[in-house]
Amino acid sequence: MEIFIFYLFSFLAITASLLAVSIKNTARALFLLFVVLFSMAGLYLFALADFIAITQILVYVGGVLILLLFAFMLSNKELLEDLQDTSKHFISLPNWQAVLLALAFLSVLIVSFTMWSRAVPDWIDEAQSKGNIILPTDNNIKALGFKFMTQYILPFEVISVFLMMTLIGAAHLSRKESTP
Amino acid sequence: MAELIIHIITPVAIFIFIACFTLFAVYAERKIAGFVQDRLGPMETGKYGLTQTIADILKLLQKEFITPSKADSILFAAAPIVIFVAVFIGFSVVPWAPDFVPAHLHTGIFFLMAVVSIDAIGILMAGWGSNNKYSLLGAIRAIAQMVSYEIPVGLSLIAAVMITQTLNLNDIAYLQGVKSPEQIYFMGFWNVTDIGGIFAWHVFQAPHLLVVYIIFFIASLAECNRAPFDIPEAESELIGGFHTEYGGIRFAFLFLAEYAMMFLVAILGTVIFLGAWNTPLPNIGVLRFADWTTGLGWGLFWTVSKSLFIVGIQMWIRWTLPRFRADQLMTLCWKILIPLSFLCLAISGLWRIMVMI
Repeated sequence: MEIFIFYLFSFLAITASLLAVSIKNTARALFLLFVVLFSMAGLYLFALADFIAITQILVYVGGVLILLLFAFMLSNKELLEDLQDTSKHFISLPNWQAVLLALAFLSVLIVSFTMWSRAVPDWIDEAQSKGNIILPTDNNIKALGFKFMTQYILPFEVISVFLMMTLIGAAHLSRKESTP
Repeated sequence: MAELIIHIITPVAIFIFIACFTLFAVYAERKIAGFVQDRLGPMETGKYGLTQTIADILKLLQKEFITPSKADSILFAAAPIVIFVAVFIGFSVVPWAPDFVPAHLHTGIFFLMAVVSIDAIGILMAGWGSNNKYSLLGAIRAIAQMVSYEIPVGLSLIAAVMITQTLNLNDIAYLQGVKSPEQIYFMGFWNVTDIGGIFAWHVFQAPHLLVVYIIFFIASLAECNRAPFDIPEAESELIGGFHTEYGGIRFAFLFLAEYAMMFLVAILGTVIFLGAWNTPLPNIGVLRFADWTTGLGWGLFWTVSKSLFIVGIQMWIRWTLPRFRADQLMTLCWKILIPLSFLCLAISGLWRIMVMI
């Protein structure tokens, strides 16, 4: 049953992302992005990262994606036509960055595939023998909170300062110019 | 195999409950509207008009699927499903009675908030898919309101969670009655762990939680697009909002989602603030009312009756208060509710550190 759901989510993620980049209709592509993000959240659950899965839905689906849709719906129609006008050639000049990126990613995949072995790494065996494992029923969120407030407090605070900066920046940008 | 059958039966049971609730909530809504406006409400179909909503739903089910010719057919068809499923999944973590909860999740509230925010995507889908200016504008109005009011809802929930120290809705329910694993103090000074009843509810555990509950209630009214915040779908003044083009069973699903959302926020407020399945009757000396009225059957009874009471208040407010204008609505959210809930958040932190330990 779990295997079936895992493959369902992976299938959904892969097909939806392929469709999202190849579809002509930008609005539908954005909604396909929703399917991709949702099934990615499902895949995170299989890594026992329930907090990250939920945060993914809350932040990306509930926030970023809605922002993207708003930007899309309120933007200029001629600009959108320019975006939707995909050129017929397979490799054309405007796409060279994408080709570069895709090649780089492919090389990463090939390298990792050649280095990959079926043997279980030593550190996993060691952790299992010590009983240092997480079960699906464990309360991960409590451990996460403790870690954030002790071991990883500096990155945590740096991120919060960074978010504060973006908030202040957004408030500054959206404020009306005061005429002196 | 038995587990799989339970996994199938639970959602079906919840769905049947939501459907029945919606039927009778629509009837109740029309009767309350009639009472408030000093008229009778539906009287023709059946005794006291009792079968009016059943007749309505039968009519809706028979209607043909109409998709506007210029509409984006896939998005148009998918939107009601997304909207309904988003609200429906929210019910999966809500406890109905002691340990009687569909999914025992450690991240209960957080999951619920995340899933309910998918609702907004569905509304945008409906608005864009209809290919109708009024639908799109209605959808944008609805999203602007929902996204804004998600902040006070989230902040008020965080203020409550800081007191409970857990996100698990089942554990939160346990913390408010005679079965509590921890000591409970009424307003921080009177130990009511053995007395239970109404004094042990979260709204009375700290003075500011009453304010937090009121913030949550107002913001959740806006979240499910109810009056006085129903500008997104004000039928009489504006076009019907994002569901202008919908008809038949698709409209029925949008309607079902709206009423399911009403019940969801009511039951969520009940679970977090109003004692969940705990009884309002306290133990008085030898009269162990709280012990007698706690259990599976009683738990179901208390949860459902408290939630229905809250739904009743939502309906009462809808027919009593006039609508907010869009700018008044945003002012209320950003200038009153959000600063107030931030203040409550700070008080919650101080209360946890200085009073509860």
